[in-house]
Amino acid sequence: MDSGPELERVLRSLEEAAEFAKTYRFEMTDDYLALIARVEAMPQNQSGTDKSGRWRGSRAHAAFLAARATLLPRRT
Amino acid sequence: MTHPLVPLAGALAQRSVRYVLIGVSGANLYGPSGQAVFTTDDLDLFVPPDPTNLERAWAACDDVQLELWLTEEPLERPRDRWLAERIVERCALTRATGPDDLLVDFTLVMKGFEFETVWKERRTFTIEGVPVPTARLLHIVTSKQAAGRPKDQYFLATHKDALEQLLKKPDVD
Repeated sequence: MDSGPELERVLRSLEEAAEFAKTYRFEMTDDYLALIARVEAMPQNQSGTDKSGRWRGSRAHAAFLAARATLLPRRT
Repeated sequence: MTHPLVPLAGALAQRSVRYVLIGVSGANLYGPSGQAVFTTDDLDLFVPPDPTNLERAWAACDDVQLELWLTEEPLERPRDRWLAERIVERCALTRATGPDDLLVDFTLVMKGFEFETVWKERRTFTIEGVPVPTARLLHIVTSKQAAGRPKDQYFLATHKDALEQLLKKPDVD
């Protein structure tokens, strides 16, 4: 399988994201501040809430899994 | 499966170290468990300009066998008050590293904020039963905006979208 075009597409989108980040200026609008206030006010975002599940999917989690993964031969 | 911060957070609590989790790792805690987590290489812990507190933070790292670094060099010993005072004077960052690419930065600087402001309004979440003082989401995003680095701008834009999605969900978490 030729992964070239897919890789090309991914690299292009990364370059575009980097370009966007260079020129983009995020604005702290009133709407945005209201959004933040709503998220902070959620019951699950109050002190004492258990956040044990919040790291799954993170890079640290991926490293954790990778360190413990055992590669098995592919079944044919 | 233990969260990478848990052993250190436990040791920091044991030694009554004052800190708040900031940065992307802190912002991640405000989303529901099913939501995508923004990836980050490190965990940023904001500490006050207090040498005694910093000394205790280093001791907590020793308790859980983390390595300590100052820039690219191992943090020299003895890790005493004299050294902590020099680090605080220079607002230098000390980094702890450990298993599974764990990378924790003890920073004395959070752009746009004094420690006491952030500390006063912190949320203390728990992870696997261990308290994790976390900066308000408002403080995290405001600081990122103030820092103005391209990666922060990009994070803020994508994070805003994620928060909007979160609020659209009828049943979050």
